[in-house]
Amino acid sequence: MKTFNIKTVGKEILTAISFLILASGCNDALELAPQSAVSPEKYLTDESHLAAYTVNYYSYSNSNKNTILLRSFDGPDGSNSGGESLYYDDIATDNATTRGSNNRFVPGLWTVGATGGDWNFKNIYAMNFYLNTVVPRFKAGGVTGNSTNIKHYIGEGYFLRAMDYFYRLRKYGDFPIIKEVLPDDQTILAEASKRRPRNEVARFILADLDSAILYMNDAPPGGKVRLTKKAALLVKSRVALFEASWEKYHAGTANVPNGTGWPGAAMDYNKNYQFPSGSAANEINYFLDQAISASAQVADAVDLVPNNGVIRTASSQAVNQYYDMFATTNPNSYAEVLMYRAYDITYQTHSYNHYAYWGGGKGYTRQYADNFLMANGLPIYAPASGYAGDNYIQDTKVNRDGRWRLFMKAPQEIKAFMNITTPEKFETAPVIYSSDGKYSTSTGYILGKGLALDYNMQLLGKDVTAFIVFRAAEAYLNYIEASYLKTGTIDAKADGYWKKLRTRAGVDPDYTKTIAATDMNKEGLVDWGAYSKGQLVDATLYNIRRERRSEFIGEGFRYNDLLRWRAMDQLNGFQIEGCKVWGPMKADFAAGKLVSDQTDEKKNTVSSQSLSLYMRPYQVVQSNNNFYNGLKFCNAHYLEPIAVQHFLITATDGKTISTSTIYQNPGWPTEAGKGAIGF
Amino acid sequence: MNVKKKFLCLLALSVCTMPTLWANGMSSTSSSAAVQQEKKGTVTGKVVDKSGESLIGVSVKVKGTTLGTITDVNGNFSLTNVAPSDVLVFSYVGMSNMEVRAENRASFAVTLENSSVNMDEVVVVGFAVQKKVNLTGSVGVATAKDLEARPVANAVQALQGLVPGLNITTSGNGGELNSKKTINVRGVGTIGAGSKGDPLILIDGMEGDINTVNPQDIESISVLKDAAASSIYGSRAPFGVVLVTTKKGKEGRMTINYNNNFRFNTPLMMPKMQNSWEFVNYFDDANFNGSNAHLFTDAYKQRVKDYFDGKLNANDVVLQASSGKWDYDYPNANVDWLKEYYKEWSPSQEHNISFSGGTNKLTYYLSSNYMTEDGFMRAGTEKYNRYTTTAKIGSQLTEKVKLDYSVRFGRTDYGRPTNMSDDFYNHILRRARPVRPVLDPNGYYMSDINYIQTMQDGGRQNEQNDGLSQQAKVTISPLKDWNVIAELNVKTDNNWTHWDQKKVFSHYANNPEQTYLALTSPSNEVVYEYAYRSTYLNPNVYTNYTKKVKKHTFTGLLGFQSEQFDQRNLSAQRNDMINLDLPVLSLTTNTTSAALVGTYDKWTTAGFFGRLNYDYDGRYLIELNNRYDGSSRFRADKRWIWTPSGSLGWNIAREAFFGGLQDYISVLKVRGSYGVLANQNTESWYPTYQTMGTGTANGGWLIGGLKPNTATAPGLVSATLTWEKVKTTNVGVDIRALKDRLTGSFDYFVRNTVDMVGPGVELPSTLGTDVPKTNNCDLQTSGWEFELGWKDNIGDFKYGARLNISDSRTKITRYGNPTGSLSTYVEGQYINNIYGYTTIGIAKTDAEMNAHLATLANGGQNALGSNWAAGDIMFEDTNADGKVNNGANTISDMGDMKKIGNSTPRFRTGITLDLAYKGFDVTMFWQGVLKRDYYPTGLVFWGATGAGQFWSTAFKDHLDYFRADENSALGQNLDSYYPRPLFNGKNQTTQTRYLQDASYMRLKNLQFGYTFRQSWLKKAKLQSVRIFVSGENLLTITKLSKTMDPETAGIGAQGGTVYPLSRTYACGLNVNF
Repeated sequence: MKTFNIKTVGKEILTAISFLILASGCNDALELAPQSAVSPEKYLTDESHLAAYTVNYYSYSNSNKNTILLRSFDGPDGSNSGGESLYYDDIATDNATTRGSNNRFVPGLWTVGATGGDWNFKNIYAMNFYLNTVVPRFKAGGVTGNSTNIKHYIGEGYFLRAMDYFYRLRKYGDFPIIKEVLPDDQTILAEASKRRPRNEVARFILADLDSAILYMNDAPPGGKVRLTKKAALLVKSRVALFEASWEKYHAGTANVPNGTGWPGAAMDYNKNYQFPSGSAANEINYFLDQAISASAQVADAVDLVPNNGVIRTASSQAVNQYYDMFATTNPNSYAEVLMYRAYDITYQTHSYNHYAYWGGGKGYTRQYADNFLMANGLPIYAPASGYAGDNYIQDTKVNRDGRWRLFMKAPQEIKAFMNITTPEKFETAPVIYSSDGKYSTSTGYILGKGLALDYNMQLLGKDVTAFIVFRAAEAYLNYIEASYLKTGTIDAKADGYWKKLRTRAGVDPDYTKTIAATDMNKEGLVDWGAYSKGQLVDATLYNIRRERRSEFIGEGFRYNDLLRWRAMDQLNGFQIEGCKVWGPMKADFAAGKLVSDQTDEKKNTVSSQSLSLYMRPYQVVQSNNNFYNGLKFCNAHYLEPIAVQHFLITATDGKTISTSTIYQNPGWPTEAGKGAIGF
Repeated sequence: MNVKKKFLCLLALSVCTMPTLWANGMSSTSSSAAVQQEKKGTVTGKVVDKSGESLIGVSVKVKGTTLGTITDVNGNFSLTNVAPSDVLVFSYVGMSNMEVRAENRASFAVTLENSSVNMDEVVVVGFAVQKKVNLTGSVGVATAKDLEARPVANAVQALQGLVPGLNITTSGNGGELNSKKTINVRGVGTIGAGSKGDPLILIDGMEGDINTVNPQDIESISVLKDAAASSIYGSRAPFGVVLVTTKKGKEGRMTINYNNNFRFNTPLMMPKMQNSWEFVNYFDDANFNGSNAHLFTDAYKQRVKDYFDGKLNANDVVLQASSGKWDYDYPNANVDWLKEYYKEWSPSQEHNISFSGGTNKLTYYLSSNYMTEDGFMRAGTEKYNRYTTTAKIGSQLTEKVKLDYSVRFGRTDYGRPTNMSDDFYNHILRRARPVRPVLDPNGYYMSDINYIQTMQDGGRQNEQNDGLSQQAKVTISPLKDWNVIAELNVKTDNNWTHWDQKKVFSHYANNPEQTYLALTSPSNEVVYEYAYRSTYLNPNVYTNYTKKVKKHTFTGLLGFQSEQFDQRNLSAQRNDMINLDLPVLSLTTNTTSAALVGTYDKWTTAGFFGRLNYDYDGRYLIELNNRYDGSSRFRADKRWIWTPSGSLGWNIAREAFFGGLQDYISVLKVRGSYGVLANQNTESWYPTYQTMGTGTANGGWLIGGLKPNTATAPGLVSATLTWEKVKTTNVGVDIRALKDRLTGSFDYFVRNTVDMVGPGVELPSTLGTDVPKTNNCDLQTSGWEFELGWKDNIGDFKYGARLNISDSRTKITRYGNPTGSLSTYVEGQYINNIYGYTTIGIAKTDAEMNAHLATLANGGQNALGSNWAAGDIMFEDTNADGKVNNGANTISDMGDMKKIGNSTPRFRTGITLDLAYKGFDVTMFWQGVLKRDYYPTGLVFWGATGAGQFWSTAFKDHLDYFRADENSALGQNLDSYYPRPLFNGKNQTTQTRYLQDASYMRLKNLQFGYTFRQSWLKKAKLQSVRIFVSGENLLTITKLSKTMDPETAGIGAQGGTVYPLSRTYACGLNVNF
């Protein structure tokens, strides 16, 4: 019995050994890589792979939808429904509004999130993976294809990483700088989460853009629907100006490195931070120089498209190139356009015109209307301005800055004459009495940039109007502002650029005349940008800012400018207004349309004339209305709070926030659901 | 690796395993050598059954030789050259074998008995059969008898409830004609985050789908439940094995069997819709309760009432709207849409014919089955056809070599309206408003608001699935009790799906000739074709040897198994047809809208296995298994894994001390097993590889006016990903007593799935991508199975009863949820726990509600909703903090919630009762779940839901809602079951009041049969004839809400919208020629 067992065991051992030998032989059969998917080792080895990868991220909406790298008619959530668009980013500023505003203007309402938010590295991961893979491979000669194109696509990778970092810089300021794909290791990731001072982040972005400029060209395959070298230069000037002006106006506060109460100073790794240029002031000058140099390279090379002043009402009229640049399906021939996004009725459409055609529940503000110069270069309040008043919306266009005339749509103007037998017009009585998301306007001053004047474009989901992503006029403006900040004077280049802009706008190019006529106290009533740090700025700087506000009508630059200028400290119950609805124009409205002062305020359709003759979109009803008492701001709101989850997962024990490697932005608590400290 | 290499692999295996066994075999077999030469003679005899009827075609064989014959039409046989020491073996289908020593008798009168449970009963186990009494692992068995005359579409349906621990549940959309029930063995195996916990299903040793097997071909089904039983199949079988063994030819005359059944199906437990007048009141109340605004105007309601009362013309069902279309939002018909969509009856039938028989050299079995079934959908037909053929031949080439070959072919054809897709179930109930007419006043279908035309004319989907299985096997027996077996299993599946989609149109009211695209219409005309082919190649080489030394019996098994599976698919789609009657891809015209997809995938495994059984006198039983598995799913350094297991058994009844009790109890066996298995069934076939997402012409940023190709960054893959381990402990008791009249067994098991693939623990966001899945979770499933059977007869009256009950529960023992959030798995908790509030009741008045809220000073019920009033639910402040909320929604702080139930089905039960008397037989089979909680969400249970009026429905049951108004058109109802209806979910929050008891017992099958007397049949040259009537799902006992079927509670769309299961009435006949 016993012997038999031993024999069996021996046999088993013997066969087990032979199994092992066999097993190693059979291993080959078990070596199977994915058969229908391409592994990273086999991809990004050819020019076409590179082209496919970067273009995917132009408007890629991963779970971090609010940070699409290049926004266009895509809404912030990555959808193109509801007519949301980058063009609507001026909503909830002093330029434009809906019937509501944003919680950022009611301290206490904007609260710290529990999870998520913009503390997100998905695009950064995607671009780090790309650059880490492609750059060494390219240098080793491992990428096939046309080397000019390959280099261009490599440059796009740097460009896109810079775009994402610029977004984080604006939201958070100090931010981790990550250039590599990191492993799934808690310790390494927590270490990598350490926030670098914001000027370092900005320098990193500029370095990426320098790489992009080095690699890219201005005629990539596909043309200007792809990123271009000039666009990289433009963004470089944008980032440098943003950082320079931020550091200048926020200097000494907790919002800049080494400022009073800067939370970074409490962390071991940022304590005793030394500026690479030696001082905070030197940093500002460094960024200004970068902005000046980059913007000049674009502005010198690219002309502005002309404006013939025509507001077209029929096909027989000459095309106004300045208007058409924003409203055409193919702006490729316009030199000023550095990059655009094209649409196609078969492949990709949007619905911008569908909403713009009716007002979309939005409108420019009375404060914006008052801020445009007269064609003669004078502010409206100047004694000889010739201002026609604002009893009627169309009156505000008389002898005004051409940009207001072109891009604000007044009653009875033509909505569409193309592809329609009887041209349609905007209502004589603007639908100011409704809060409908499509068929209304919040102020009466209807947003008109990008309105195609084409009936077909306004059909739901049939709009193929192109979107201008980057245009050269911004470089002109960036140069003027940066050089003035650096030198305190308008140099020859700036003088030339400014005059070109004003000439194109149909405004007297002599800006000194405007400066002389500017009354800062009057401007402070209608323009938040008249202020920095709660103080009115000088008239020259102010007129540079006004130029920017006017040129960028409807283009979504406003809120970022207000942030970097620190131009919202003074807000304390600011009431946004629309058209003068209770003036003579009230006669244009059918009976029963304008309803206010009702006991049951839910029946009100407009604000009370006892408050103002002008429409006050936030004061139609009082109950459940956070904006009824006007807009306020606080220092914490210049930067976003980081959601609590991120402190927890970078803490050593997963729960003690004080052990986290990251710190909260100034003025914000680390408790979910809580508003800025003190509110 | 290529074929050549594989072949070398196999060869090497054979070479290295054979000599060791050969040597062993040679040294241990010598006793049978010297047989004395005896005088041989001729024997004759007659074989009859118990009732004295002669048996035709009985195999009579001299044991241990190839000598044999079969009985003639009178049951007589004659056999020459028989020595007195020879043993004659009589065998016959359905009868117990009988062995008789020839002695010197010249003639025999043999009476064969019907086979019943006996000590020699064998069970198919991995790569072998084993005597049931000697089993040490946990194995459940079902036989052909259990499946007989069940009027069901496939064998899986018939298996439900038969074997304890084999859990079969309805899934997907319920009872669609092509639906497949899900199968698991002993409950949840994995959380399904990256791996599957399905059992391995083997048909005659090869992986397959039971749904496509001809149920009449099945001889037995073994369910290997514990690790010891299933471990021989290694990493493919960690969660049990279902072994289906099909019939094969037996020596004897040819038996021809024909059987059929004709069925009539009717929808089971269909909810009843409200009528139009009830509906408008119900919905209007729901809207008014929430917003103080009426959903319907008085004029509209009056029109509905007038039509309902017959005061309007029959076709005066809708008014014209200003758009020139019908005002389809406010029609006033009165239609029972469920009756409109579903037929009351649908027929089906099944025919089966088989031929089997053979000689001692050659046996054969041939069968063919045809089944056709119609669906309930009235608009647009559904059809399901199944065709199967099976052929098996076995040939004893020489005394030492046997060849077997079998081929099975199965085809299923399924056709349905294209638009009866998943989305249909989302919409059917919410859009089945009784006020909606079938036809507009001009006689056209109102396709904006009903699906009739969409079903009828919106295109067809046809699926044809072909499966061809071939198995070749050579058995070499160099010595008695030593076999070397090599087999090759090949399976090819070819599936083809076609669908086309066509637009349907509505007609204008003011200009009926003119049409427009209907709201329910597909937006494009599309033709789509999909082709799939898979091949499965499985060579097995193994050898077994049995050695008996006195009371010691040793059995050894060694083998090698390899599997290769590959699949490819191709699909193409293009819009716009030249002619709508010709939905053919080549006749589509759209040049820009086309899609092409094609993929190819493959996996392979290799495994070495060995088993050793030791049996001392049937008293002490030991089994040891080991397997060494490799899988293509893991990289070389983690590819191979050893999985050992073992089991022990002790038949106490064979101990001497058991003494005289043995007369009553023949088997009292305790057994135990433990084993580790690994799971290779990862969801991804290549889980360790990073892959790039690539897209062709799918980019949204147009380049050159076209969509560009795109590529996406790869996700991370955990560097540490490896095998999941499944560790099972099983203890059991088997008993046979009172001369086998009583049989019973009990098993208790604990199955731990460790290092289970789960979602990675959250990492700092700087990672920049999703945390990769990794082996970071554990779960434990434990439970028991109990079976008890009784079988006896009182004279000619035979009766039997069988009961089985099983239970399993799953507890999460490790999971990355440090906060204990209730929104995912929580460590230490059973899965499927239901956490909810405690209901005090429905407030009968506003005052009662206010008094209740006054007791909640710190926030009332605000966390659940606002505007609490009469008819709303009063929730209990169980933690007495002055407010009702869910705290942090974690296991340690769930506020006023508590565990109120668990939705795991518990105590699954099957009961079989059978009676037979002189040819008449009755069988009754009950199946059920004795404990299960279910918390209903969605419109099926609630009617009006928080998702708004367009995601709500109206059944008769929903009418029992709170109505305080004495003047309500539906009457006051203060003592209602439902709270006041709202288009707001606050009263539907998970709570004790509406927790459903989803337990049930269902009379799955009841049949009456009559087997004709053989004396009558002889004249017609028939062997046997049985006729029967049979019914499925005849009766259901449940406390569950009438809005749903207990078998479909929790599946389907919108809280339970499913295709109804059916109640079936059938009759048929079974003839043996």
